[in-house]
Amino acid sequence: MSAVDLARLQFALTTSFHFLFVLLTLGLVTLLVVMQTRFTITGAPVHERMTRFWGRIYVINYALGIVTGVVMEFQFGLNWSGLATYAGDVFGAPLALETLIAFFLESTFLGLWIFGWGRLHRWVHLALLYLTALTAFASAFWIMAANGFLQHPVGYRVDGNVLRLDDFGALLTNPTFTSAFVHVVFAAITAGGVFLTGVSAYHFIKRTPETDFFRRSLRMGVVTTALATPVLIGAGFAQFPVIAAHQPGKTGAVPWIGAPLGFMILIGMGLTVVSWLTLPLLLRDAVIRMRFPLYLMVFGIPFPFAAAIFGWMFREIGRQPWLVYGLLRTEDAVSHVDVSQILLSLVVFTSLFVVLACVDWALIARAVRRGPDVEPAPVSPLVVTL
Amino acid sequence: MEALWLTVLGVLTVGYFALAGFDYGSGLLLPFGRREVVLHRMTPFFLGNEVWLVAVIGVLFAAFPRLEGELLSGAHSTFTLLLAGLVLFMASVQLRLWWWLVFTGALMVSAGWGLFLAHLLDAPWPVAFVMPVLFALHGWAFQHRKALFPVTAALCALPIPLAFSSIDVTGLMAHPDTLGLLAWVAIPVIPLVVVLQWSIVALSSR
Repeated sequence: MSAVDLARLQFALTTSFHFLFVLLTLGLVTLLVVMQTRFTITGAPVHERMTRFWGRIYVINYALGIVTGVVMEFQFGLNWSGLATYAGDVFGAPLALETLIAFFLESTFLGLWIFGWGRLHRWVHLALLYLTALTAFASAFWIMAANGFLQHPVGYRVDGNVLRLDDFGALLTNPTFTSAFVHVVFAAITAGGVFLTGVSAYHFIKRTPETDFFRRSLRMGVVTTALATPVLIGAGFAQFPVIAAHQPGKTGAVPWIGAPLGFMILIGMGLTVVSWLTLPLLLRDAVIRMRFPLYLMVFGIPFPFAAAIFGWMFREIGRQPWLVYGLLRTEDAVSHVDVSQILLSLVVFTSLFVVLACVDWALIARAVRRGPDVEPAPVSPLVVTL
Repeated sequence: MEALWLTVLGVLTVGYFALAGFDYGSGLLLPFGRREVVLHRMTPFFLGNEVWLVAVIGVLFAAFPRLEGELLSGAHSTFTLLLAGLVLFMASVQLRLWWWLVFTGALMVSAGWGLFLAHLLDAPWPVAFVMPVLFALHGWAFQHRKALFPVTAALCALPIPLAFSSIDVTGLMAHPDTLGLLAWVAIPVIPLVVVLQWSIVALSSR
């Protein structure tokens, strides 16, 4: 394999792993906002316990996800120095705003939220979670703005052999950004809803005594999925006219490009139908008493994650052979680095990320099995504080 | 505008080494101390310290686009070592995995920064030992001699920014249009983060 192939494979793998963490982080923080708001208003203990239990899982996932994000950030400079050299003035702006407004601030707000449990006034504490969620979505906003530029460059002028920023507003109204941003946000909320549903169903299968706790969680998960999926699909289909106008070659980039797209659409449609069929069954807990749907709910947890990876495959592979569509070819952007060096980093990071994903899964599974309210095990110093 | 962005990059880099330096140093000292106590002391600082690096890279990319790629890709394998160490270190500290993994991660990160320093100065590789030694000293000051903390912080923070200052950045920076736009964000965010991170530490010691 050539340097450019290896660098592409590495980018695809690290981004995919990173995005698995991101989806759950964004989805869970949205649901935590609802839980903690209800607790702050009503003061009912069940909402506080829900915030803690789901919050613990969220923090485990965040702590490992942030590590993959650091590697992502470096990768542009390590393997794709041609991108910064040529388009850094334009593409770098949303990327830097992401690191400063979102990454930098988000982890700080989250730290305050974690260490502020029981130490801050409850409204101040709630405000911190809102700020954490807001900066998390800001992160998605700026990253998608940066990615939108790669799909359909706007707001630039050519100055010699580099691009210069001409109209920052154009980056934010870029049609390949706006519809995709909504799509990604609702994909994350769907993933959060499906996760909540599946984990709660697991506890009903295990006949955990916490029925009120998991009944509420399961309802919240199903309702979230049912509300989020139509928007998700709408924002997905809204992208086809944009693609037709700006990236006409996308659907023919490689012969098999239709496969990931098809799988993604199938999963999205499936989740929409199933969640709407489940809604009436929430009445008098029919879905819980029937029991067999519970197994399907657990089985369904990985699907939104798989769909998200398929979606990214379509979006990114479909852009080839361009890195910045119509302006910079992928092969011209790769760093002047020895193939062996890229191979080394590919092997190192891929194996580390596989381990991280497994550790994340194992720790979340352990937190799930322990259920709410037990003394927090020393999973993480951050989690211990919760 | 150029001077402003050099200052921003300088502040972020100095901040990163002065803060994360004692994390790595504490990790390096784990074989010699009471491990639980050492890890417990750095817990409230940890997440805050490490994110400074992310801010450094973000600013480097946007404000110095023609420097960032050359700098990182020019030391590709050093950064592979450094980042692999960072992944191990961050994951094992936050999740309280095995202490020797924290130690190994800290060693890889500090050796990586040492090698990068040697690369910047075009110096022979034994220069790389400077960074692990300074980090260990800083970690020791953080754990045991708070009075020395500012001194060791400065010692950790200065080598790499000083080595940087030998680079001529003219022509490597972004256009003033980009720099002007980003200044509106960078200038309020950095002091805000400092205040918030300080509040985390104050809160957790209450």
